[in-house]
Formats: sequence, structure tokens, C-alpha cells
Amino acid sequence: MDAITVTVDGMEVGVRRGATVLEAIEKAGVYIPTLCHHPDLVPFGACRLCIVEIEQMRGFPPACATPAADGMVVHTNSPQLQELRRNILELILSEHPHSCLICPRREDCAPFRTSMRKMAVSTGCLYCPQNGRCELQKVADYIGIKEVNLTYTYKEFPIQREPFFDRDYNLCILCGRCVRICQEVRGAGAISFTYRGNQAMIGTAFNRPLQDAGCQFCAACVDACPTAALMERAHRWAGPPQHEVATVCPYCGTGCQIKLEVKDDRILRVNPGRDGAVNQGQLCVKGRFGLDFVHDSGRLTSPLIKKDGEFVPASWEEALALIATRLADYKGEQFAAISSAKCTNEENYLIQKFARAVMGSNNIDHCARLCHAPTIAALDMAFGSSAMTNSIGEIRDAACILAIGTNTTESHPVIGLEVKRAVRNGAKLVVVNPRYLELCRLAHLWLRHRPGTDVALLMGLARVIVEQGLANKTFVEERCENFDAFGQSLNNFDLDWVAQVTGVPAFDIVEAARIYATVHPASIVYAMGLTQHSHGVDNVLAAANLAMLTGNVGQPSSGVNPLSGQNNVQGACDVGCLPDFYPGYQAVANARARKKFEAAWECALPQEPGLTLSEIFDAALAGRIKALYLVGENPVLSDPDAKHVAEALKSLEFLVVQDIFLTETAQLAHVVLPAATFAEKDGTFTNTERRVQRVRQAIKPIGNSRPDWWITCQIAKRLGGNGFDFDHPSRVMDEVASLTPTYRGISYRRLEKGGLQWPCTGKRHPGTSFLHGEKFARGKGHFTPLEYKPSLEQPDGDFPLLLTTGRSLYQFHTGTMTRKVPGLNILRGEELVEINPNDAEALGILEGERVQLMSRRGKVMAKAKVTEDSPPGVVFMTFHFAESATNLLTNPALDPVAKTPELKVCAVRLEKAS
Amino acid sequence: MTFDEIQSRAIAEWEALADSEKPRVLVGAATCGRSAGALAVLEAINAELAKHGIDAIVTQVGCLGLCYAEPLVDIIKQGQPRICYSSVAPEIAPQLVEDYIVNGNPRPDLALGTIGDGGVDGIPRLFDLPMLKPQVRIVLRNCGHIDPENINHYIANGGYIGLTKALKMSPEEVIAEIKKSGLRGRGGAGFPTGLKWEFCRKSPGREKYLICNADEGDPGAFMDRSVLEGDPHSVLEGMLIAAYAIGATQGYVYCRAEYPLALERLDIALRRMAEYGLLGQNILGSGFNFDIKIKEGAGAFVCGEETALMASIEGRRGMPRPRPPFPAQSGLWGKPTNINNVETLANIPVIMDKGADWYSSYGTEGSKGTKTFALAGKAKRTGLIEVPMGMTLRQVIYDIGGGVVDDKRFKAVQTGGPSGGCLPAELLDLPIDYEVLTKAGSIMGSGGMIVADEDTCIVDLAKFFLSFTQAESCGKCPPCRVGAKQMLDVLEGITRGEGQPGDIERLLGLAETVRDGSLCALGGTAPNPVLTTIRYFRDEYEAHIKRKHCPAVVCKELVIAPCRHTCPAGIDVPRYVRFIGEGKFAEALAVIRERIPFPSICGHVCIHPCETKCRRAQLDEAIAIRALKRFAAEQGGQFWRSGTTVAPPSHKRVAIVGSGPAGLTAAYYLAELGHTVTVFEALREPGGMMRAGIPEYRLPRAVIDREIEEIADFGVEIRTNVSIGSADELFEQGFDAVFLAIGAHRGIKLGIEGEDSPRVMDCISFLKNVNLGNGVEVGGRVGIIGGGNSAIDASRSALRLGAKEVTIIYRRTRAEMPASEEEIEEALHEGVQIQFLTAPIKIKEDGVLSLECIRMKLGAVDASGRQRPEPIEGSEFSLDFDTVIAAIGQRPDVPPQMGVEVNRGNVIRVDPDTLATDREGVFAGGDAVSGPASIIEAIAAGRQAAISIDKYLGGNGIIDEVLAPPEEEMALPEVEEEERHRIQMPCLSLGERAKSFAEVELGFDEEMAIEEAKRCLRCDLELR
Repeated sequence: MDAITVTVDGMEVGVRRGATVLEAIEKAGVYIPTLCHHPDLVPFGACRLCIVEIEQMRGFPPACATPAADGMVVHTNSPQLQELRRNILELILSEHPHSCLICPRREDCAPFRTSMRKMAVSTGCLYCPQNGRCELQKVADYIGIKEVNLTYTYKEFPIQREPFFDRDYNLCILCGRCVRICQEVRGAGAISFTYRGNQAMIGTAFNRPLQDAGCQFCAACVDACPTAALMERAHRWAGPPQHEVATVCPYCGTGCQIKLEVKDDRILRVNPGRDGAVNQGQLCVKGRFGLDFVHDSGRLTSPLIKKDGEFVPASWEEALALIATRLADYKGEQFAAISSAKCTNEENYLIQKFARAVMGSNNIDHCARLCHAPTIAALDMAFGSSAMTNSIGEIRDAACILAIGTNTTESHPVIGLEVKRAVRNGAKLVVVNPRYLELCRLAHLWLRHRPGTDVALLMGLARVIVEQGLANKTFVEERCENFDAFGQSLNNFDLDWVAQVTGVPAFDIVEAARIYATVHPASIVYAMGLTQHSHGVDNVLAAANLAMLTGNVGQPSSGVNPLSGQNNVQGACDVGCLPDFYPGYQAVANARARKKFEAAWECALPQEPGLTLSEIFDAALAGRIKALYLVGENPVLSDPDAKHVAEALKSLEFLVVQDIFLTETAQLAHVVLPAATFAEKDGTFTNTERRVQRVRQAIKPIGNSRPDWWITCQIAKRLGGNGFDFDHPSRVMDEVASLTPTYRGISYRRLEKGGLQWPCTGKRHPGTSFLHGEKFARGKGHFTPLEYKPSLEQPDGDFPLLLTTGRSLYQFHTGTMTRKVPGLNILRGEELVEINPNDAEALGILEGERVQLMSRRGKVMAKAKVTEDSPPGVVFMTFHFAESATNLLTNPALDPVAKTPELKVCAVRLEKAS
Repeated sequence: MTFDEIQSRAIAEWEALADSEKPRVLVGAATCGRSAGALAVLEAINAELAKHGIDAIVTQVGCLGLCYAEPLVDIIKQGQPRICYSSVAPEIAPQLVEDYIVNGNPRPDLALGTIGDGGVDGIPRLFDLPMLKPQVRIVLRNCGHIDPENINHYIANGGYIGLTKALKMSPEEVIAEIKKSGLRGRGGAGFPTGLKWEFCRKSPGREKYLICNADEGDPGAFMDRSVLEGDPHSVLEGMLIAAYAIGATQGYVYCRAEYPLALERLDIALRRMAEYGLLGQNILGSGFNFDIKIKEGAGAFVCGEETALMASIEGRRGMPRPRPPFPAQSGLWGKPTNINNVETLANIPVIMDKGADWYSSYGTEGSKGTKTFALAGKAKRTGLIEVPMGMTLRQVIYDIGGGVVDDKRFKAVQTGGPSGGCLPAELLDLPIDYEVLTKAGSIMGSGGMIVADEDTCIVDLAKFFLSFTQAESCGKCPPCRVGAKQMLDVLEGITRGEGQPGDIERLLGLAETVRDGSLCALGGTAPNPVLTTIRYFRDEYEAHIKRKHCPAVVCKELVIAPCRHTCPAGIDVPRYVRFIGEGKFAEALAVIRERIPFPSICGHVCIHPCETKCRRAQLDEAIAIRALKRFAAEQGGQFWRSGTTVAPPSHKRVAIVGSGPAGLTAAYYLAELGHTVTVFEALREPGGMMRAGIPEYRLPRAVIDREIEEIADFGVEIRTNVSIGSADELFEQGFDAVFLAIGAHRGIKLGIEGEDSPRVMDCISFLKNVNLGNGVEVGGRVGIIGGGNSAIDASRSALRLGAKEVTIIYRRTRAEMPASEEEIEEALHEGVQIQFLTAPIKIKEDGVLSLECIRMKLGAVDASGRQRPEPIEGSEFSLDFDTVIAAIGQRPDVPPQMGVEVNRGNVIRVDPDTLATDREGVFAGGDAVSGPASIIEAIAAGRQAAISIDKYLGGNGIIDEVLAPPEEEMALPEVEEEERHRIQMPCLSLGERAKSFAEVELGFDEEMAIEEAKRCLRCDLELR
């Protein structure tokens, strides 16, 4: 590194070229006060407290904003500087309640208070919620201010209550960190400096509530605030935590690190920390505020046994004994297990091991079937490895991003930040989506195609690339195979035809192709919009074809990047919760693999791959499956054609549901087992970028609940299973590592230092940030010829509209966790059917009216939201709300390979509710 | 089209215009003209022309800079010079058309001047007029002459030649030329332009930006607006040259949206440029590409700061950011950017055309070329001017600006707008130069220049500028956002009368924090007006803080009523005037008596500062307050006595030396406080200057006697014919305290040859001899040298002593004469002659007294704010007199044995707040401390002395009395809109005055007094 030397108060320190003077000062171990400085933000130079004297420089430059130069001589604490600092701090304190900061007795009263502080000269001692965390305290201590000789002004702003936090601008010192983090890091720009002069303040446009100002309640501003001006309400009187536990957010697949602040065995708040590998101090509203469910009064705290149609609390012994007795009757193919993408790797491993080794059934699946099964199938076919090819952190350096079928900023908000950062860095963003998303606002180009026409569009792009000679011939020739067949298949994708089928203007298709092919490195990012189709595998294959065609695989910031929706969907797949794969994608059909696991588990294993999720329900309804062990899933709401699912569950002879709440699905069970949440147990999650990260226990299990790993082991042991004597999940991981080549180098000891991205094949292997570097996992990248297949259910006279589904930022999945959070319910408390104004007008529907939606499978009620975000002919719903259970409508038609249902397209009719 | 073709076409058009047989009318219709009604004038002209069926060419032009004379209309008839008419109202415009265009009468009565060859009888040449002659117009070269919307006019006048020359040079050569010219940034900071370009040129990067900063935001500044409205192409051509030099491909004009006309004209100009290939790709076939966009600003002052301006163009809130990186390295959108001000850019084409050497021949060593200023405030001729650097402020304000409106006293000039400083009269001779102004605590700034006169409160002025910068702070950094507000709060406290000791130091401390701690220049310079006003006008701050007094009578919380505020003794004038109006004369006198023991004397001869600031004067004439006071004193009887009290004896003895108004006032109050008071008077009768200095025809002796007797009634012992040589003798006599109120009785010598003649007297001795009845003879011709009230008294006394010809010789004009206007009026009325602008050189006694004189002319303004008289060589002449009286002032005669320290002018040095001398127990006041002043000021000093002495003797110093009953609550009366002049004082006829010292003013009768009192507007009620 290019280093320079700076002298700070007589000490020579070396810093990198381009460092600021403040960095040099910090490196020298010298403290100087700062208030507006924040390591994630561009230097602002506003608070004027980090001023220094630099020899041969005029005035008092701010250290934070002054670049260090070689040979610079810096003085940080001359009497003149301290005097100026004191005067500036006095000015700041003349508008901030400060008795507490300068009170001569504050040392004496410190032991007797939890958070006691004087709020104002005139009002004496009051509580300040930020005591102990307030940065102004630290600065006042350093400067040693004893009195403030200026007229004190209390600005008398009303305190503004927002969901989760309060804005009390009487405590604001206008450091601007909140504004800058909202703009620079979050790209939201919900707040700004307002007014001028002494009236200057932070606020929203026209002083509207944050909700109306584009705020997403990520609380980055709250975390950046040095005072209590922005203060979350949940813990405001609770004082400092007793301890802090670093763990992983339980929501989406991004894998943000969170720090749980714990006091008296309760979670006080979530501290995003700054050292999370993925999120680096940033969270979304759910991760930041969405953990109320842990302490929710509705948690299951005791096993329940249904007797005469009613649940009766039971002891663990009774419940486990009953389960062991009943399940003993259903060994073999009558048994199925559904594991959970919310559970840890260890737990998922144990569940599939239990199903296979103890119950002798490969009928093990989980919700990946609903989301990324097509990814697993397609990327395995094309590349030989079925995960995100690159890392989340590489997105920011991409020069081109093709975001297709992903509402990244809502569904994966922290990954969305990477996209925003890339755009800010000059990347060209091409968004392919029928709906107008926040991403579209950032996009260089937005292709609004008809839902279900992705193959046509992607193949169309490929054809333009080939025709215009923009393909990476070397890459195609040297690293791939089967190009000719693929090239042949492009003949069917004439540009005009593609434009007609997709509804995207031809020149936009050409422009998108040109950008993707010429701007390197280019990264494809996608999610459920690509996979939840009856041709989901084809969609992903089309994306893989495109990447190989342009050589955008096997290098940083490029690749094909599926974003997984659940915190551990990647891990659940990795450890074998799939009917056709053992841990590490070792095929059941492969005899060598089977032998390996039979040896390891000391048992005989069934030879045929098991049933997939939807097939399990079909088989249950058909009576072929009689017992189901269902962990942490709510298919009654999450799976398509929910009525069908409910009927299937009801027809089972024995259903065990293990969950943290009595979900819609659990209510159908014979026995319900209370599980512990992520906060109550140890384990690991693997995020969407293949990073295995530690989950750490922060509090004791609530009530009589138990970690899933413990429960599964207990059941397995009672059914005579061997190899379930684990006293801690770390032992389970050791077993996983011993049997899974890509996890071989992973152990809890190593994970203490941070997550590891698989493949991590040995004790010293550093993990892998991007795949297929030297060669593809399968050797050569495989081009697949494709043809366009329309979605299976098209709008017609009876059902003239097309329904597509997705997520809201403010809720998660079936709402089991998020709907326990009052603030999230304020932000998004009910289902809203998004409908284009043209359609709304034709149907006579007004904004906010109740409407009824019908499909061939069912009907639901919801409120209409008239918006051009939805294209004409298309309506949009989420699936978070049980009372508007969208999946009563959706089409269970499956992708023939991945068996993933076509959740993204079905035909519906809309009526005003009577 | 090549440039040559464009140019010849433009010249042809211009020449055709000049040679046109049609009459041409130019209307100054820039924003300043429009606000004066130019568009209505334009309409009237067009209508009149149509009425006469005249086919004339009517053109809207920019501003000539003579904003005070707007609307301006110029008429050109073939073969005649262009005639410029000023202040053309819509009613006058048709007359001009008819008289001049139709009938050939050029109406010299309405004309301001001619422009161009030839002349017109009775009309001066415009550019020979004093406001234009000293100007050098480079930036404003075309303003007011060309049609700003016609690019051909610009080209025909040399436009775009600079560009063609630049395009033939290398960019480096262009930069070298600009460096050589010495041009510095006209936006305010004065950074060398060529150097700035060079930084940007050398900064690596393919894309570079050029920004023209037209975000002119200072209150009172309109230079940039005028240039953009009057000659937009000069700026745009400057931008092309700058862009070529630095290698920019995109330019922006950042102009505030409040300048709609400038924006419109810029837009038109850009479109014409594009049509001529002067914009866009391959400009004039040179391969140089450049485009310009207009960006409208929202009127934030801070957006004049470069980094805030760039943020604003980028669509962000205009907030400055720290530098480095400098815009030249990383500016707009992170690309190297050069920002120049409008005026800077308007200079560029001329420099390229005429060369750096030509340009740098103007100006000073460090500041080359010219500078435009928006001359505003209390100057007579406000407007937009352009002068070579190095011209003094005085030349700008007096020669070009014509001095102060209504010939009031000049107080200060604010240069550089709200970020600049406020400079006093002493600094008027500073040359206009970046470094010189900075050294004086101000800045050049972008060229705002605001003149303040004596009616401007300096604290209020500082408050005004600071409230502007404070309100315009972007709010980013605490020193500016909070510090400026804290300073403003202190200033507001001071102007509200809540000033505290230490406020000035608090302001200075805060100013330092704001200046040193702020991120950008807005904060860095915001304290300048406060710092400079404290530096140059500290006493005015102190008057506000210590005495709650606003000398300019502006701060309305301090000034309940101007009359009361200006009264040194603080008499509640409106209250007693109201009592008189109600017929309650005793109560009226009691009100006066609450503050002074000499109501009648003051009623006769007070210099009445109260009347000078009377608000009624703004309507018609001031209330005759003095005359009303006299009336109250005459008619008020003894009612006031019932409220007076005398404290029990304190057994302390006070000696008062001198029985003038100061001494006797102190004696009166000290006696009331129970002290034993003895007054020592050197003359044979008490009264000091009241008796010895003021002639009987103004102040009858009986009035003096009566009021002194009333003081004696309170137990004051007055010993006359006693000279006190030293304070020691008094202390030896057992006095506990001494008050020296010895007046200023020694006349000042003329200092010229021959003044020792016995027929040359000093004025005070003369008056003393007359007033004390010592018998004086003056002869037939009396010459009196001086212009004060004493000179007038001497002149009128001399007339009464039988002089046939009395001549006052004064070196300045009547406007500067310190004597009171009504006294001068009376003297002239009685036949006194005054030789103005005349100074004596020597006196020869050759049978007659021959006074050799020289004529004077008024030159530069001195520290007193008046123009200094300078002798005119060779204008000597002689006047013959029998007696010459030197009335050029007096000074105190302080015996050295008194043992008190004296200042220059032999005045006693005291603590201004307590009047204590450097000697324990010795106080001093009146003329002995202030030099010759007025009775009312002496009374005020006597009051102050009584307070201090009482405190010194262990009392509480409270001398306030309540003698009049409280007023009933009253509603605010309707303001009388109608003009009603003051009641004239009845006087003796001229015939009766001659040879008699009988009182000239006869006093009001009851009816007159009540009527006059009712004229009072009672502004105290409004402001209470």
C-alpha cells in the first residue's frame, strides 16, 4: 500500500495515501472530539469540533475532511484550539439541554441512576433515554466544559412520534448524520435539512410524517444519531444492556449480522453493529425492529396434544412418547417430513437424517421447493453448482446489473443498498419487471415485460447479442459447451416477435442487450420473479445462458445471483432437506453417495428419491402419506392452492407440527411442539451468498419451549435412532462437515471469527467469494436450448386479470413473526391489491375500497390500491395476511423439473365487495 | 457564416441605425428602470408617436447606471447628439415627443446631458457630469447603449472579437494573457482569475465545467443583474473564452430566479449565439465545443459560495462542503470545475481584445482594472458605477454619488455587503483595493456600497447585516448557525436597551468563534459588520449599553419619543406638551421641573435638540417645543414646589466652583438631598455663561435672576467674586467633595498676524463685557470671525451697540455653519452680513483695521463629516473694519493648582460615567469637561454630578422627583394627516430691536401655546 507519514502531536504515524487527518489522529491513538463524523459517510466538516492546526496551513481545518499529506505536522490540542472547541461546544449546548453534561455532581449521582440526566437548565433533572450512549457526553467530558455562558434556547419542537421511534428535534445538534446516512447509504432521502439560518432543522418535505416521506424505517438514522433526537421507544427507559450477543437476522436470506442487546433475559433492542460481513451496520426495518415476536405472549410454551378436537397442554415426556408411539407405525414411504428454512443448518440436518435414517423415507422437503428449486435444478445443470455465484459485497463493484424478477429493495433491502451503491458508483442498472419498483427509479433502463414472458425476453437479448457480435467468443469456446444447439434455438426469437410477446419495445431490448454485453462486469440478480413459474427452470437456464454468452461468470461482481427469501433456505438445501439430495447435493440416486451415508449413519437408506413438497400434499390427500412431521412451516398460507393444502393436512392420520406459534397449519396438527426461536439457541445459518454464520443464544428458551435440534433428537432417540446424542449444535456441525465436501473446513471454532462462504473444503481454506473462477463446477458451462412456453393459466373471459404475487418490505412471509410487531402492522397492516387505474376505472373501483378476488380455486377479500405501479391487466398481492390468503387463488401448476408451483401467474377476476 | 461575415452584417445594421432618418428613442428598461415606471413611459411614448404618426425606432436598453434618475429616456434625431432625459414620468414623455421630435425643442430643462458628437445649447455633455466623469466603463461598456436582445448590436460594438482572438491562441496563451492582466475575481474574494483557470486547466479530466456565478444576493447589490440585463453577451463571450482556456465543454449560468429579466435576456442571447455558431459544436469552425445551460437558483445567499452553488446545480440543498478538494480538482459532479463571477467574465472579452497591458494600466499595484459598485443608501446619486481601482471611497461617494442626501452628516459606508465592513469618515480616503479594504476590516466583496448618514444607528446597521447573514446561514455548522444567532441576540438586546456591561466583549468573543470556526466564508465573514462597527464606533455601542441612548434616535425600544430621547436631561417632552394642550400649565411646568431647575432659561435659549428629531417634522414642521417650555415656565406658577422635598441634613459639605448651569443644577439637587452646598463664582453675579455669554435680547436678566433665586431657596449658598485656585483650599475649608463647573471662558486665538491689536477682541470677552454692562465700543464696521452661536450673538450685540455694518467671516458655507439655523436667520434678518467660504490670513492696522482674507473652496470631508475648506490660491482680498471679533471658540481655563488632569484642549479629564476626576472627591462637568457646549448639556452634567457626588458621600444617588400628577390613560389619537405649520413666535419689529437689548422673542400667548401643543403627534403613546 502507498503509505505516507504524518506527525500527530509529535508522534509519527503511517497511513495510507488518501486517508484523512482524522484517520491519522485515530491511528496515533489520540482522541479528538467529533460529532458529525461517521465512518460510513463522506466527510461533512460541519460540527467543527475536530478542528486541528496543521503547520503551513491557514486557519483551523477540520481533521475529518482534510486529506492527510506526507510530512504533514498536526497539532490537536493547542490552547487556542481547545478554546475554540470549547466555544463551539458552548454554542451547540446553548441549544441542547445540557445541565447533565456539565453538572458538577454528575459523578456522584452516576451510581444511583440508570439513565438519569438533567434535560434543561430550567427543568432540572429528568430522564434522558440516551444516557451512556450519548456522544455529546463524551465530547463534553473531553473538552471539560463546566458552564455555558450563553443564553439557552429550548426550541420547543413538538415530539414527533413515528412507528418504532420518536423524533425530538429539541435534542438535535444538526450534525446531519441522519440526513446523510439516509441519502448516502440508504439512498432513501426521506429527510433533509430544512429552512435556513437559526431556523435550520432536520425534517421531511412539508413536515409530513416519515411514513409519507419515503422513509423505510431502517433506523439507520436512529443508529447514526449521536444524541437522543432520534430515539427508539422500545428501550427508551430500559437503560444500558447487560450483555450483547452477535447473531444473524432471522428474516430474509441476506444474512445480516445483528447484535441483540439483552437485559434480564429479554431482548432490549437490536444493534446493527458495524462488523457484519454483509450488512456492515445496515439493517432493514424487520431486522431492526421486527423481533417483538420472540417475547410475544402468543408463543407456544408447552407441548399440546389434540384431544377431542381441542389442544391440551402436555408434558414433553407425554408428547414425545405419544409421537414415538404413533410414528413407529408409519416408517417408510407413508412418512414425510417438512423441514424449515427458518431453522439452523444443524436442525435441518437432523430432520433429514431423522427422516432418512430413522423413518426410512426420502420424503423430506422444505419451502425451497416454492422458491429456489428451479435455481438448484437449473444452475446445477448449467454450472454444476446451484448457489449464488458471487458475493453480495461484489454487487457494488458491478458495472452493469440486470435485475430480473426481483424487488430487491423491498424483499432484500440490504442487498438493495448494494445495488443503489453500484448505481451511485456509475453502474448501469437494467430492471426487468412488470411492476414499477423502487429499482425502476434508479434504473438506466426498465423493461416492463408481461408476467411469464421471461424466457422470450432473455432469449431475445441473447439473440441480439449474438447477432450484433457482442458475444464473448473466447469464453464461449474455451469454457462452455453445447453452444451450437443453443444458437439454433435462438432462431425462434426474432426481435419483433419477442417485442410482441413480451410487450417490451424492440429498441429497449436492443439497448438492454447492448448494455449487458458491453459493460463489464455485469451481474444478473434475480429472485422469485424468475423461479415461481411453470417454466421456472427454463427462466434460470435462460439467465445462465446469457451470462455464459457474455463471459459474465467466474469473476468478481458478475455471475448469476439468485436471492433467497428465507434466512436459511440455502443452508436447508445444503444439508440435504431435499428428497433427491443428501447433504452437499450428493444425489440419492448415486449409489456411492448412499453407501457413504449408510456407513456414516449406520443404517440402510431408501434408494428412490422422495416426494417434493407439493407431491407430499398430493400424496397425503391420496392417502399414500399418512404421517407428517412438519417443522417451522405454514403451508396453509404459503403454498399455492391453500385450500388443497389444508385438505391434504386434514386427511393425514398423524400430523406433528413444531413451531414457535400456533400457526394456521399447527392448528390442524395432532401434536404441537413448542420450539425456541433463533434468539434462544445456538447454530448456524447459511445466507444466500453461501456464507455460513453463527447463530448465538441470547436468552433462555421462553417457557417450556425447546430448540428444534433438541426436539428432533428426542423424537429420533425414542424411535431407536442412532447418532442423535448431541449435547450442542457444534457437534452436529462437525458431523455435517465430515459428510459434506463443501462444508468440510467449517467448524464453530472458525466461525467465531466470522462467517465462511462455501465451498470451504479444508481447515485452512478461506472460503469462496465467487464460484467457477478457473472452471465451472461441472467442468464446462452448459448452454441449454430453450423454447418459450406461456404460463399455464392465462387471463380469459371469466378471469380477465392476471394476478402476480410478491412481498412487502414491512411484512414477512405468512406474517407469523412480523404480524406480532405493532409498528410493522402500522406500516403495512392489511392486504392491498394493487390495480392499475385503467382497470380500476373499468371496474368502478376506487382507492381503498374492499374488493373480492376470485380464481378458479378460491376467493379472497382485500382492499384496493389503485396505482400505476401495476401494469394494465395485472393485479398484485402479497401473501402475508391470513385474512386475505392470497394463496387460495394461486395456481399449483408445477414446473416439470423443479416441481415449483406457478405462484407468479394466475388468472383472476376482481369485483367490488358487496 | 464566418465571423467576418457575421461582423460585417452586424456593423451594417448598427450603422444603418445610426444613420437612420427616423428618430430613435432609447428607454432604460432594465429592472431598475422598470421599477421606476419605464414600461409606462415606453407605452406613453409609443402612444404619442402613433398620435403624431411618427415612424420612430423605439428600443429598450439596459441601465446606464444612473438609477437615481430613472426612468431615463434618450432621444436621437438625425444629425443631433443623443439627449438623455432623466426622471421622465409618463406624463412628461409625450411632451418630450411633441416638443423635441415634432417641434425640435430639445427641452434643456428636462435633459440630463448629451451623448456623442456635437452639443446642444443649455445641455451639458453627459459624460462630463460629475457622476460620470470619474468613471471608467469597461464592464458596463455597452449597458444602456445597445439593445441587449440584439446580438448584432453587441457584435457591432466589438463583441466576440476577443473570442476570435482567443481561439487563434493556445489555451495556455489565453491563460497567460489573463494572468498578465492582473484580473482578480470580482465575486468578492479577489482570487487571481488566470491562476484559477490554470489550476482547472492543469487538473486531469476529460470533462470539465465552467460556471458563471450570477447568484447575486447581497442586499443593495445589483451589479451582476445590470450587466446581464444590459449586456448579456459580454458575460457569455467571457464564458466562451474561459471555457476554451480551461478546456471545459459544458457551462452553466447559475442565476437566481428573482432575476426574471436577466434570465429572459440570457435565454435570448444563448439562442442567438447558437444561431451564429457561437455555441455548441465546432464554434466558429475552430473545433472548440461548448454549450451553456441556465440554472435558476432559489435565492439562497449561501449559494454564492462555490461548493454550495455546485450542490445546488446538482439538485441538492445548497450547503458548502470543506475544501480540499477544490472545485478545480473536483467540482460539479466530481469533475474539474471553474467558477467565475459575472463581472469577472464580462471583463474577459475586452482584455482579450485590447490586451493585458491596456487593462492593467488601470488600477493599483495589486488590484488591476475597474470595479463596479452598486452605490446605495443615503448617497444623493445612487446607481451602478464603474471606477478604476485605487479611486478613494470619498471620490466615489462625494464626486460620483454627490454626497449625502439632504447634506446630512456622513457616518459610515458599508462595502462588500453583509460580509463586508462598515468604514467611518476617517477612512474615506482609502483607495479601493482588495488588500486595503481587508486591512481596514472590510472587504471588496462583489461591490455593494451602502452609505449611512447621521440618522443611521450603527448598532442597528450591524444588526441588520447580521440578521441577514444569520438568516441565510445554511445551518450546517454551529459557529455560523448558533454563533451568529447569539451575536444577533446580543445586538438585539443592546438595541432594546437591555445591553449589559461586557456585551461588547461577548460580541468580540463570539465573533472570533464564528470567524475562526465556520466552514465557509458566509460564517467566516458574517461578524465583519459587527467587528468593524465596534472597531470604529465603539462609543455608539457604549451609549446604547451604558446610557440606553441611541444617538441616531433609531432604536425604537430606547426611543420612546425622539424629543425626550434627544434631550440631554431627558425631559418628558410629550407629557408636558400634552398638559399644555389640555390647558394644565402648572402640571406642564412640573413635568419640566422633574428634570431641570432652569425651565424658563431653557425655554428662552435652549438649543433644543428635541426639535431636530421631532417626528412631526417629517409631516410639516417640528413642534415649537422650546417656545412651549417658555410658556409653561411663565404660566406654570409655583405648583411644582409642592412636590419637592429636602432630605434631612447629611452634614456633608460640597463645594461647587462655578455658578453656571452645571454648577447650579448640581447644587440644587445636592441641596435637596440634604447636603450643605456652597457655590463659588468668580464673577460678580452668578449664572456663568447664561449671564455672561448670552445677550439680554435673547435671555432677559430677570429670568436668570428668578431661577437662580429659586435654587438659593433650597439652601444653596452662592458666593460671588470668589476665585478658587486649587481644590486643596476647599478641602482645607472642610468640604467633603468638590464639583468643578468652571466653564470654558478663555477665547481661542486666531493664530494670525496682527491679532494682538486692542481693536481685535475675543468673542467671549466681548460678550461678557456687553452682558455684564462693562461698556464696550465697537465703531461702525465690525468683522466677526467664526460661525458658531457666539459669533451670531456677537454680531447681533454689535448691531445693538451701534455698529453700522456687521460682517461675519466664515470659512465654509451656510450648510456647515454650527450656529443654530434660527439664530442665523435672525442675524441676517437684522442686517448682519456673512461672507461664506472666507478665511482671514492677517490683520493690518493702518488707521483702519484691514483684515486680509482668502476665498475658500470645499474639499474632502474631514472626521467631523463636513467637507474641509481649502484656500483658493490667488483669491486674497481685504476687508476694512473698526473692530474685529474672533469667535472661533473657547476653552476652559483650568488653574494648574487645581491638581486635576486635563485632556487636549485643556478640558478636565473625567470618568464619563461618574464625572469623577483623577482626584479623590473632585468631580467636574459642563463646558469645563466637554468644551463649549449648551446649557441643556451642562444641566445634564450637573444632574450626573449630583448623583455621583451623593453616592460618593454615602447617599443612593437618587435625584429623580415626581412633581407632576400622573396622566390619565389615553387612547392613541388619530394621526393628523393634514399639514399644519408651527405657530410663529411673535417678535419685536426690526425697528424696535435696533439699539436696544430688549427681548426679541415675545413668547406665546395661551391660545397659541395650546394650538401649538395640539400639533404633537404623541408618538410616545404609539411606541410605549
